[in-house]
This record gives sequence, structure tokens and C-alpha cells, in this order.
Amino acid sequence: MELIFRDLVDLDRTVVPALLRAAGARRKWMLSGDIGAGKTTLVQALCRHFGVQDYVTSPTFSLVNAYSYPDAEAKEGQALIHHLDLYRLKNLDEAIDIGIEEYLGDPWFCWMEWPELITPLWPEEVFKINLEILEDSSRKILFL
Amino acid sequence: MSTLLLAIESSCDDTSAAVLRDGVVLSNCVANQDAHRAYGGVVPEVASRAHQVNIVPVVDLALQKAGVDKSDLSAIAFTRGPGLMGSLIVGVSFAKSLALSLDIPMIEVNHMQAHVLAHFAEPPHPTFPFLCLTVSGGHTQIVRVTAPLEMEIIGHTRDDAAGEAFDKTGKILGLDYPAGPIIDRLAREGTARFSFPEPNIPDLDFSFSGLKTSILYFLKKKRKENPQFIEENLTDICASVQDRIVSILLNKLVLAVERTGITEVAIAGGVSANSALRAGLQQLGKEKAWRTFIPAFQFCTDNAGMIGVTAHFKYLAQEFVSQEVSAVPRWKIGSEGA
Repeated sequence: MELIFRDLVDLDRTVVPALLRAAGARRKWMLSGDIGAGKTTLVQALCRHFGVQDYVTSPTFSLVNAYSYPDAEAKEGQALIHHLDLYRLKNLDEAIDIGIEEYLGDPWFCWMEWPELITPLWPEEVFKINLEILEDSSRKILFL
Repeated sequence: MSTLLLAIESSCDDTSAAVLRDGVVLSNCVANQDAHRAYGGVVPEVASRAHQVNIVPVVDLALQKAGVDKSDLSAIAFTRGPGLMGSLIVGVSFAKSLALSLDIPMIEVNHMQAHVLAHFAEPPHPTFPFLCLTVSGGHTQIVRVTAPLEMEIIGHTRDDAAGEAFDKTGKILGLDYPAGPIIDRLAREGTARFSFPEPNIPDLDFSFSGLKTSILYFLKKKRKENPQFIEENLTDICASVQDRIVSILLNKLVLAVERTGITEVAIAGGVSANSALRAGLQQLGKEKAWRTFIPAFQFCTDNAGMIGVTAHFKYLAQEFVSQEVSAVPRWKIGSEGA
């Protein structure tokens, strides 16, 4: 499926609900797209949707940022989100070193930027998203 | 009797160990080829496996350089957070084991607090209260420091850190990673003649994501007109981008001084090695009669020396932790690390 969006209002009102519907039970999301395409901005919108209270900042340097949100079904009433960015990693070994398999295997949301590096480790049921900047600087989002 | 501390830092990429006597840094070692030569190994790059390989050699080296035997240590300090879980665990577990075997107390340290207190590694020291702008690859925040162990964040980035703005710009320009030092060098030969917008972010918060996008659009447009635009204007592009990143940082510092009335102003973190930021801060200090402070380079980047300096304050306050302590990946200054 494909959507075009122009601003944060579109992102919050249209894109996020559409993504969550399309993802269904899939919790491991692979976010592709060039620098500046809006990957972190999308994760900020997703976190807003779930009611994350913290500031959601770029994980490029920290590699993994963890957030929590209220979820009555989760243990202790809090569910987790892991926001990963493999941008500065060089190979599969480095990804394994940071414990990537744990984030792919746990029950929580994992939203991963620059995931191509670890394609061999992708679980079967991933949700693939691609962001693209269009000529007029709106964004195209493709997902399947 | 003097106090001897061993400090360990493993929150992100670098494994580091330092030894301090009465708050004075005797040795401050970051795992590199030196630490490994004795063991005949090579330095692995990122994350926890690297820390596991690095930690024993780097601790040995720090003790040896300080001329201290581990049996003489008074306490062991370690970075408890914030950082990458897999990396923090190595330092925390090592500190716990060594403290247990030597039967000495442990001191937990917040990595971001340590960046601020790095100013007490060497004179001149700022006097309290002071403001500290901590800028690195992963962080951009303004901290109001009222006492060694009392500080609060009064502004921080809402998206990317300043260091990331340098690195991502470098990527767009086709420079190597990390691009910060390369842009710094190229900028010295260029003129800041291209103008990028200053983001309109309220209060003392920062944003660098929009700047990244505007650089991207600007270059896209220019390359349409001239495919060689980047190559022909590289030094001027670098100077312009650096000029804007530095002005975003310094303008918020000016606002922070106006709002708090505090005129002791410090910078910390890896990006404080940037020559334009240093020069800009010193210039502002002269114009506005601030006292400004920039730590020596070895205390700007991630290092165990600053962990030790912070731990010394905690040692004096007898703030020890038990063997139940565990790493905390997210730990804001001024909040409980639980």
C-alpha cells in the first residue's frame, strides 16, 4: 500500500492509523529510506500515538532507545518500544554484538532504521516500510 | 590517608579506565592499540563483545600508568547509565566482581553528570552555580549545576544531537564517518556564505532534524543546476553548516544566561572539541563578560577520568551502592536511576 503525506497532521491522522491497521500482529518494523526521509519523525508520531511521555530522539548514536507506554495487558501495566538505528554499524557481527536478536525476538514493538544490514536476521513476519522524499518535498510511504 | 579510586566507563563505543588519588586523575586510558599490544590482540569496534575484550587490558594499563596496585584501591566507580544495555553490563559486572573480590565499596555514576563534572578534572574550575552545554554525537543539553551532585536539565534536543547533525551532513557530502572533525578542518578553509535557517524551537530546547533536511534540499537544488556543486564548494558548504550548528548552540546559551542570570558558562562532550564552537564561546564570553570553561580534549570525549571525578564527589558524600545494582540504559540527570 502507498500513501502520500505532507505534514505532521497527515502523519498523525492518516499514516499512523493506516500503518497500525496494515501491520496487524506484526511488531518488528523495518524502516527504510534515505537520510532526511522522515524515519525518526515517523517513530515520533508512532510514540505519540501510544502515549509515550519521553522525548523521542534519534538513536543514531545510542543505537537503541527504549520507551514505555501504558498497556493494561502487559506485565506491570507497561509495554516497551525499542527504536533502533543501525546506521553506524558496519556489519552483521556488530549488530549481533549489540544484542539485535533480542530486540527481534522479544514480544515488544521494534522499529528499526537502516535495517538492510541485518536482512539475514529478519524474522519471517516483518512489516516493511519505505519512505521517500518527493519532488515537492512531501513524503511517499510504501508498506507491505 | 589518601583515597584511591578506579573508574570504569563502558556506556557506548569506548572502554575506558582511570585511576584517581584524592580527586586528581593519575591515569585516564581509553582502550586502543596500546592497551592491546601487551596482549597481542587487535581492538574490536563496536559494543559489548569489544568491551569484554578491552576491559581487563585497559584496567591493567590504567593501574600501571598510575603506579597503583589494585589492593590499595579505596573504591570502584562505574558508569551505570545512560547507554547501551549490552555495553553498560560489561562495566557494571566487572566493577561488581572486582569490588566483591577486593571487599571495597562501589560508586555508580551517571554518564551525563560526569560530562559536566569533567570540568573538575583540572583547574580552572567553574564556581557554582554554572551552566553547562553538553554536546556530543548522542546528546545536546543545557544543564544548570548548583552543586557537584545537584544539577538539572533546562534544555535539550527534541530530535537529533548536534554531533549527529555534523555526521549526517558529512554523509550527505560524501565525507567519512565520523565527519565532525573533517567538517571542522574543511570549514577553516571556507567562508560561511550559504545560509541555512535557524529552527524556531521554544525555550531552551534544540532541534537539528530540520537543519539536516534543509541542507539536503539545498544541495539537491544546487546539484540540479551544477552537478559538481558539492565538489566545487565543499569548504564553503562545511563552513556554512558549521556556522549554523554553532550559532544554534550559542544562541540558546545566550538565552539560558538571560533566563538564569548565571554567567559561569561551560561546554562539555565530544563536540566541544569543535574549533568554531570553542572560538564562538570564548568570543561571547569576552563580549558579555561571562567566565567560560572548556575541558581538555581527553576529558571531552567519553572517558573514565570524568567518571572518577564524579565518583570522588560521591565518595566524599559516602554515596555507595550495593551488589544489587544493575545497568540503566535510560537515566536522566536529576532522576532516580531505576
